[in-house]
Amino acid sequence: MDTVGWWSLVRFAHVAGAALWVGGQLALTLVILPLARHLLAPEAKDRFTAAAGRRFGMLTGALFLPAQLATGWAMAWHRGVTWASLAEPGYGRTLATKLALFAVVMLAAAGHGIAHAKGRADLARILAVVSLVGSLGVVLLATALPAT
Amino acid sequence: MYSNNDDPAVGGGSPPSRFKASGLRSRHLAAHVLVAAWVVLALLAASAQQTLPVARWLAIHLFLLGAATTAIVVWSEHFAVAMLHAPLPDRRWNNARLAGVNTGTLGVLTGVWADLPVLTGAGCALLVTAATAHLVVLVRMGRGALGGRLAPIADYYRAAAAALIVGAVLGWLLATGNVGPQQYTGLKLAHVHVTLLGWIGLPVLGTLFMLWPTVLGVRMAERTTRLARRVLALTGGGLLTAVAGLAAGLRVPAVFGVALYAVGVAVAVQLFARTVRRRPAISAAAAWMLAAAAGWLLVGVVVDLALLAARPLAAVRDDIGSLVPVLLVGLVAQVLIGALTYLLPIVLASGPKERAALRAVLERGWMPRLATLNLGVALLALPLPSPSGTAGILLAGAAGAVFLALAVRVLVRSARGVLQDTEKAGAARRPVLWGTAAGAVLIVLAVLVANSGGNTDGPPLAAGTAGAGAGTGTTRTVSVTLFDMRIHPAWIEVTAGTALKLKVTNTDAQRHDLKVEDGPTTPMLAKGHTRTLDLGPVTKNREAWCTLPGHRAAGMTMDIVVTGSTDDAGAHEGHSMTATTDGGLDLSADFSTGWQPRDADLAPAPGGTVHKIELHAGHTQIEVAPGVRQQMWTFGGTAPGPTLHGKVGDVFEVTLVNDDTAMGHGIDFHAGSLAPDQPMRTIQPGKRLVYRFRADKAGAWLYHCSTAPMLQHMGNGMYGAVIIDPPGLAKADHEYVLVSSELYLGTPGSTAQVTKMRQNTPDAWVFNGVANQYTQRPLTVRDGERARFWVVAAGPSDGIAFHIVGTVFDTVYKEGGYLLKPHQAGGSQVLDLATGQGGFVETTFPAAGHYAFVDHDMRHAEAGAHGMVEVSG
Repeated sequence: MDTVGWWSLVRFAHVAGAALWVGGQLALTLVILPLARHLLAPEAKDRFTAAAGRRFGMLTGALFLPAQLATGWAMAWHRGVTWASLAEPGYGRTLATKLALFAVVMLAAAGHGIAHAKGRADLARILAVVSLVGSLGVVLLATALPAT
Repeated sequence: MYSNNDDPAVGGGSPPSRFKASGLRSRHLAAHVLVAAWVVLALLAASAQQTLPVARWLAIHLFLLGAATTAIVVWSEHFAVAMLHAPLPDRRWNNARLAGVNTGTLGVLTGVWADLPVLTGAGCALLVTAATAHLVVLVRMGRGALGGRLAPIADYYRAAAAALIVGAVLGWLLATGNVGPQQYTGLKLAHVHVTLLGWIGLPVLGTLFMLWPTVLGVRMAERTTRLARRVLALTGGGLLTAVAGLAAGLRVPAVFGVALYAVGVAVAVQLFARTVRRRPAISAAAAWMLAAAAGWLLVGVVVDLALLAARPLAAVRDDIGSLVPVLLVGLVAQVLIGALTYLLPIVLASGPKERAALRAVLERGWMPRLATLNLGVALLALPLPSPSGTAGILLAGAAGAVFLALAVRVLVRSARGVLQDTEKAGAARRPVLWGTAAGAVLIVLAVLVANSGGNTDGPPLAAGTAGAGAGTGTTRTVSVTLFDMRIHPAWIEVTAGTALKLKVTNTDAQRHDLKVEDGPTTPMLAKGHTRTLDLGPVTKNREAWCTLPGHRAAGMTMDIVVTGSTDDAGAHEGHSMTATTDGGLDLSADFSTGWQPRDADLAPAPGGTVHKIELHAGHTQIEVAPGVRQQMWTFGGTAPGPTLHGKVGDVFEVTLVNDDTAMGHGIDFHAGSLAPDQPMRTIQPGKRLVYRFRADKAGAWLYHCSTAPMLQHMGNGMYGAVIIDPPGLAKADHEYVLVSSELYLGTPGSTAQVTKMRQNTPDAWVFNGVANQYTQRPLTVRDGERARFWVVAAGPSDGIAFHIVGTVFDTVYKEGGYLLKPHQAGGSQVLDLATGQGGFVETTFPAAGHYAFVDHDMRHAEAGAHGMVEVSG
């Protein structure tokens, strides 16, 4: 079998999506938003951060999330993962934990958007950081899974 | 000493008001939420000791490295500022250091838990960096600061930070398996001492010089400053000496160093005792807890000193494991509870009224809690049977959990206050910190869940084999368990070129390691500890074993067999490769030079009616087939064990001595009639057992090991014969004893061997323990002589159909009765014995010649149950 085959491409899409998603969060949190806070006037900053957050949210919902779910589902199918195997120690349990953490991260990200919309800035920020740190945990668990 | 502290201050000068203004309250709040989170995780890990692989290690490090370290970093900076009258360090860097310590700790814990050495290393590096930064800040703080009477106490914190750096480096070496078995003991002890007595003990002692009189509400003794310096010289110098000595594996300097430390602690405790006055303390709860903690520190150090002085380091390493919980709970947890009872209200409250309210919450039920905690520690400390230790843990855990609940209540209450304050002020809170903490907790929980149960390497591997690798470039991870003095699986088969990883977990009560021939070695693994050995691509057969003295000999070995390589025909441990091939024993080969067959002659019964025999249980290398040596488990050094011979009514007093280094053994004499409970019990290594029975009945009896799994104990050689002559037994020219059994090659107790036993596919069937021995060294008689053959079928699974080619038996005695006597007309060709039965046959050889004796089950005869009687004219 070729080293780079169809399943490599599926895995590439999955890993690249995760990298872009986590990297995007990191870039927003550590680079763009702090700079916006320092360089922009309060009103402009608010508009900018809201717009940046909205766009990232749209990209996540429209691109990253479907891509991750599709490629993740495909790899699980390829590996022969069943619902029962998700409870088994080892690969199954790690995958199940990763999925659960991913769900929590998604909930936190969604909660961030809602809190932001309601003007609860601190809660929104907490949830944003939870989402960011949690997504690193997702990456950690993903690296613990052997290659499909 | 604080702006919001109206208790009698120490250290002189009015308390600085900048703490409140600087947002100290919310920072303390955040820090103590972290402390509480670590404690909660530690309690969870402690409660899951039986189910989580590294739970004990995790519980200890979650508490000491997580909770205690966070508290020490926060409070040592806080007190250093107060005592040096120094300006507050930069807040952001302060936060960065705290974050560094916690992230590093998280990395270490996750790395060890998930067995990711790189993450462990990164965590240690971050921890060392943060500790170094902490040390630098403490040193710089002293420069140009006004200084106060208690300025020397900052030196305690500096020494402690240095101890943490050393402890983290040692911990990294130990956790990542970079320490060989020779250095392991010394470095482990050095790590325990430098962290417990250095990083935790020194700040506790130093702080008590100031905190103790403050809590009591008395003026500090005049000589406190002088004594504080002296105590630091004693404890710090002593610790340095002890740690250096331990790291070098030298006991004398270690004893000297710990003795110095003990003197230092005693001097401090004596000062504290003299400080006590009759007037009521500001916080009696805090005072009692601090006093009890100091007392446990003294007890711990003295016991440690006694252990080091009395026993070799290797023994201390195991003993000190039981001392750690005492120091952990008695000293660290108690000092934390005591200090926080007093200090939390001071730093979290916004005024005297709130402070009193918070203190009332924290002091709720303090007397029963104090009693419960210290009773628990006492139960842990005393050498009592295990239920009391469990009770101790439960009591201490309950007391700790109650305080934790109270502390959380105070933190929540204070957090509400902070929220209100900040809302009023319109200032931002610390969402990043909260979010990071929540995310980190999520990750830890996720990793704990993911790692529970087994490895992450795909479908479970078949026991005993690593499955078939697809060839070179394949990576295989095999879970290896060290348990019951065995390595499971004992046999791994991999394709040549497979990159092999062994995930080694010790589930045995005692410590073990695993060394791979020409390869890596794990550190000594306590119960529940796991380490992964990376062997890289394996191209030739290798062995692995536990390096502890005697363990390899006791059977803690594992074979890694490479298939598809030129090495397939290589030798296995304990027996030649030919032995494992199907029917591949070369029974026509020569026995080794100097080999002697087992004497089949039945020795005459000794005189007297009481026979005293001492039987030693152990293991011995024995040539079990031509050219094949195998470790056997033996009674009296032979398999079968010695034959006992007597008359009806004789008493046998057998003293069983278990010379085995690890396994328990027992014995069961079929010839005796008695209650099995006591005489047949299993005795542990080094123990003796007297087994007295009267042979009331004649017969050829089996005796064997009575310890489970009996299939393995008997299948590996622990059996023998007792011959009780029937009354009036005529004299024969020759009397032989032949004990038949099966032979299972391979490492005793290994999966491969036990599988053969269970499937009843022996490698050979044998008389008196050795295949074909009497074919190559025949029994000799003269024609016309009468010979009696006593036969006992030892099994463990097969009986025997004993036949001598060219003869008929005129006498058959089976299981207590004669089936045939010489005067009868009939003859007998086979003595059939089920497993565990015995009897004898007699015959007269008619002429010179070679008379083969066999088990007439021809599979057995052709596979070793074959011998020869050479009859001369």
